Amino acid sequence: MSGHDRRAFLRGALVTGIAGTVAAATPSAAPAPPSPPAAPPVRRGFHGAHQAGIAEPPRRRTIVAAFDVVAESRAELADLFHSLTDRARALTAGGAPPDPGITAPPADSGILGPSAPSGDLTVTLGVGASLFDDRYGLAPRRPPALTAMPAFPDDDLDPAWCHGDLSLQLSADDDDTVLHALRDIARHTRGGMQVRWRMNGFTSPPRPSGTQRNLMGFKDGIANPDTGDPAEMDRLVWVRDQEPATAWTTGGSHLVVRLIRMRVEFWDRVSLSEQEQMFGRAKDTGAPLDGAREQDVPRYELDPEGKVIPLTSHIRRANPRTPETDGSRILRRGHNYDRGMDAVGDLDVGLIFTCYQRDPRAQFEIVQRRLEDEPLVDYISPFGGGYFFALPGVRDATDSYARFIQV
Amino acid sequence: MRVARTGATGPAVILPVAILLVAGCSDAPVAAPPPAAAAESAIQVSPSHCGEGWAHPRAGDQTLLLSNTGTVAAEAYLVDVPGGAVHAELEGLAPGVTRAMRVSLGPGTYAVRCLAEGADPVVGPAVRVAGSAPGGPAVAPVTYNDLYGPAAAYQSYVADGLRGLVSRTAALTRAVDRGDLPAARKAWLPAHLAYERLGAAYGTFGDLGDAIDGLPAGLPAGVRDKGFTGFHRMEYGLWHGEAAGSLKPVAHRLDHDVKALEAGFADERLEPSDLPLRAHEILEDTLEFQLTGRADLGSGTTLATASANVEGTRKAVDVLRPLLRPRYPGLAEADRLLGRVGELLGAQRHGDRWTSVSHHAPADREALDGAVGALLERLAPIAVIAFPRRTS
Repeated sequence: MSGHDRRAFLRGALVTGIAGTVAAATPSAAPAPPSPPAAPPVRRGFHGAHQAGIAEPPRRRTIVAAFDVVAESRAELADLFHSLTDRARALTAGGAPPDPGITAPPADSGILGPSAPSGDLTVTLGVGASLFDDRYGLAPRRPPALTAMPAFPDDDLDPAWCHGDLSLQLSADDDDTVLHALRDIARHTRGGMQVRWRMNGFTSPPRPSGTQRNLMGFKDGIANPDTGDPAEMDRLVWVRDQEPATAWTTGGSHLVVRLIRMRVEFWDRVSLSEQEQMFGRAKDTGAPLDGAREQDVPRYELDPEGKVIPLTSHIRRANPRTPETDGSRILRRGHNYDRGMDAVGDLDVGLIFTCYQRDPRAQFEIVQRRLEDEPLVDYISPFGGGYFFALPGVRDATDSYARFIQV
Repeated sequence: MRVARTGATGPAVILPVAILLVAGCSDAPVAAPPPAAAAESAIQVSPSHCGEGWAHPRAGDQTLLLSNTGTVAAEAYLVDVPGGAVHAELEGLAPGVTRAMRVSLGPGTYAVRCLAEGADPVVGPAVRVAGSAPGGPAVAPVTYNDLYGPAAAYQSYVADGLRGLVSRTAALTRAVDRGDLPAARKAWLPAHLAYERLGAAYGTFGDLGDAIDGLPAGLPAGVRDKGFTGFHRMEYGLWHGEAAGSLKPVAHRLDHDVKALEAGFADERLEPSDLPLRAHEILEDTLEFQLTGRADLGSGTTLATASANVEGTRKAVDVLRPLLRPRYPGLAEADRLLGRVGELLGAQRHGDRWTSVSHHAPADREALDGAVGALLERLAPIAVIAFPRRTS
């Protein structure tokens, strides 16, 4: 491959980046595609102090992918992040890319039709610890709390499904929207990054109401930090850093991704009582076993021996609701996955667990250690994922994801 | 092995919540009204007012609300009068809490039995239910005491098995000590299968169980991790060209661990309430780790392991049989499928060699996976039917 060809992804990105800007300035005349009514109402633009796709409720469809950077220099790396910025900005704005005429194949895959509506796509980009190795001279800028994901005792990690230099999460309410975005971004970044693993996910509509159910049939993600409370978000989710080398991380957040297979056939062969004891919640209502409604707060102080909500139950281990454990809370943003069948004909389904926090060691890992050997581990098998740092938001049309490389 | 869930640990312990024995009796949606809103019409659960408040009893599929009006956690059974068979139950009901209990009742006489923490059971007033709806199934309670005999029988099966495990592991260790790796590879399988037959006992094995039969999953350095020991560590070395010299400490550690297991087991008590759970759990593990080939560290003998696991399962079912025969109509089908799975696995044995999962003909593999899945569906109810319940 010649040097010229190697950089082809950058040229393509430049062209379409401009196109994206134009499209963003020219509202598409096409009507928005119909969205399922259960879609969360929160919508925001691409620019902001934080990236989209973190504080907002999970969308109906997502793609979580990890990439390894194959750019050969720091300049190419910066170009890659400029391309990613340009494509994210263009795709989240929507609109048809310019027609290259007879000079090239079509600029867009066309799977969203000629007007390529945004579908309220959100793009959330993260960087892994490995990006800060000696390849690009970024070691001094590594976010201090960013490491590679360790193996936990109940894990069965497959290296092909772990880690990555970059994480990319594309979320919207329709499959074609997120697939279109992945296809577009991959096209414009070829030669700069290569996909390492990728998983599609979905959230379910409320059944019949309230928090979505996971594939074990339990409402999952009921107790989360209040995203509408800026002080709580600053305390638990958003990074603030004043050290000169890493001050760039302010406004970002640490992302933990865990790909967790669920053994649903086995689960379906367990009595309802045992299932509820393992979660600590009623399966029908989602209420804690000492309550009536899903938002009821369990009163562990009235049940010190775990006669009602077992001490080993998932909700009690994950969030003991004491002042000492309050700071270890995490913002969970999970999606279900369904990727077919396994070797013995069982469903290969589970959870793309994602969570955001200020410090994975002080939050996710503390929670994870409390969950070690919980009864639920027999029915789940974490096989992949990684630790990433979700970059701060792209502030405006002059800013980009590449800021941390250039400063 | 990974799975080792535990049942109740003693007769005084409050058991899990709300086993509803109504599976398959109706397709009607479970539409529990919000319990709090309807609490005034709930049936009381408490030593002093047990069963009071059951307004308008009727036949058919229904959701009853039960409210713990006492001061301590309680469980409640809806039972036949006078037979005492349990139609539905709610356990771990906190004071002041109302929960829904789904049940399908035919015409007859019923009562609520209240078991408050630390108190004797109280049976509420007999309630006549009229109507023509067919009722759902009920099960005569199995008590904790009922499970002692089966547990003791399984315990002696395991004790016998442990003696064979120790002698076969010693033979494996001697072969490694001699530097005779072909003999060691031959001796490995019988020793490993001796362990895999023990099945239902692994809840009592604790850390030794992991040391003897753990897989490298979850260890930071995988197969090279210092914490990776036991049969699969031996297997990995024996089938990956490892020298006898470096396998010696592995063999001696294994030899030491199985002896420690045998010595310690005499003082262990197989938890009676674990046994009904093991009836399907052993093969749940087999399906995940053996039939997929995931537990194959080189010997290609996971179907042999599966066959040993079937033996352990059969033993668990056999010791529970006196309790199951009058309670479980699906027992005959479970037995038939146990035989079928045994035959399908036996067909993959060729003397002292076994077909590996990767060479298992697709049609044979589908037949086996399908039969094991069907068997598991028949074994799972045993965990619910033979789960210990308080009657006194």
